[in-house]
Amino acid sequence: MKLEDVKKLANLARIDMSEEEMTIIAKDFDPILAYVGQVQEALKSNESIFDGKQSEDHFLHNVMREDIVTNKGREYTENILADAPDIENGFLKVKQIL
Amino acid sequence: MKIDLKDLTIEKAHEALEKGEYTVTELVNAYLEVIKEKNGEINAYLEVYDDVLDQAHKAEEMFKEGRATLMTGIPMALKDNMLFEGHIASASSKILENYKATYDSGVVSQLKKQGAVFLGRTNMDEFAMGSSTETSAYGNTKNPLNTDYVPGGSSGGAVSSVAMNGALVALGSDTGGSIRQPAAFTSLVGLKPSYGTVSRFGIISMGSSLDQVGPFGKTVRDTEILFNAINNYDEKDSTSIKKEDRLTPHPLKKKIGVPRSFLSLDGTDKEILQNFEESCNKLESLGYEIVDISLPLIKYSLAVYYIICPAEVSSNLARYDGIRYGLSEKANNLLDVYTKSRKNGFGREVRRRILLGTYILSHGYYDAYYNTAIKVREAIKEELVKAFLDVDVIITPTSPVMPFKFGEKINDPISMYLSDLFSVPANIAGVPAISVPSGKNKDGLPFSLHMMAPFLREDILFTIGKDFEKIVQ
Repeated sequence: MKLEDVKKLANLARIDMSEEEMTIIAKDFDPILAYVGQVQEALKSNESIFDGKQSEDHFLHNVMREDIVTNKGREYTENILADAPDIENGFLKVKQIL
Repeated sequence: MKIDLKDLTIEKAHEALEKGEYTVTELVNAYLEVIKEKNGEINAYLEVYDDVLDQAHKAEEMFKEGRATLMTGIPMALKDNMLFEGHIASASSKILENYKATYDSGVVSQLKKQGAVFLGRTNMDEFAMGSSTETSAYGNTKNPLNTDYVPGGSSGGAVSSVAMNGALVALGSDTGGSIRQPAAFTSLVGLKPSYGTVSRFGIISMGSSLDQVGPFGKTVRDTEILFNAINNYDEKDSTSIKKEDRLTPHPLKKKIGVPRSFLSLDGTDKEILQNFEESCNKLESLGYEIVDISLPLIKYSLAVYYIICPAEVSSNLARYDGIRYGLSEKANNLLDVYTKSRKNGFGREVRRRILLGTYILSHGYYDAYYNTAIKVREAIKEELVKAFLDVDVIITPTSPVMPFKFGEKINDPISMYLSDLFSVPANIAGVPAISVPSGKNKDGLPFSLHMMAPFLREDILFTIGKDFEKIVQ
């Protein structure tokens, strides 16, 4: 892992990081990635019972609800705005976007 | 009057409250006194809620009206990642230091209806990332059994609240062992239920496909009672299992599987292996047959976990951006609001794991790591399903290492991660698992036995756990 790679990741993750910390992380990553890279070995191993199929019990399925309003108007607004860092006239106030 | 908190159980307390031997307020005050006396040193609680006596009063009404159930009036602690409306929940992070929950989590809502009394929120590793509670932004929690040692993590505060007699029971969360390992380190019982049995609604997410909320108690029975109280379908959690899909118990085979080759991997303390053999002998004397089983893929669980978990973490923690809630740093432009809030709000380990997850999910690496990990995960699930055709439970020690001292592992991430070796398979596969005390070493540090049961078969863990508990005493 190079410092440049970590800089790209920090940017993607939207975290401002010092060069010192990014250097440490670059160093830490290599043994971690080496360890988790074992999963490649698991996939190749001839002891594997994996055949690419999920058993029926494990099928994932979507859980949906009706696209309707279920709360009263402004039922939670006051509580939610109470946690907001900056508000104006009942809106969240943020830095210029465009 | 002096209430004996040391040997108190939920059923004893319930009987005493029914008979009027003491009131809920008196019971709650007894715990508040212990907290006042010990929490300054132990730091189990980050906050004692200011409405505790109101909650006690409501519970007393339930007794008067004949509506009390086992959990009514029971003083308990909540881990700091569980939303309780009107109260702060911070996941032991600076980024949520003053965040007040705007709704009740599913488990809090269910326990409120039963009249449980929430004493306060307990310390944890920040965003549940850790095995020692040392990554908390609010200081360490000391192990009440021996304050030189960590209480384990990430639910270190929750277990310490019970172990110091500052709560009768507590709720924790477990993504890779964060209930079972701290239970082991403080000689308590800790259960990670089957994925989907306990609602994750209102639980601050870490790894959504791995997280489960579960109970801590001094006894298997107390753990069972608290589990039964929260083992409910919640329509607000789309991974919650409907009532009709939950299983009914059927008789045990009385066979216990030991994955010998998994146990003989490097890194497990000799005295832990010795205590484990003694536990096997005890189980045999109870009439269980111990059989060696082969689980060739289980040793990859930890690698699978440290791919899937950081990936899900990087996604789940994207919401902390200084916009809608939480720490928000003043800046000149929007991007800086994000990057500075997250820099100052998140601790080191959290920042490391987010970056690891970002890497794992990024173009070019997604296939090698994440896609491979989820395939291996399915294979591990299948491997366990097949093993459970023959045995009731699969046992190992809970932790490969004894409780360690502060600072010993915090600077060596892989060493810290390895302490989850025996616990993560249950999160990977979604099966229930329990940690039960199995003795103490010559220094008074606790040993623990770990049992995994088939999906939705918590009843097996309680049955064998109660048998084992009697014989360990």
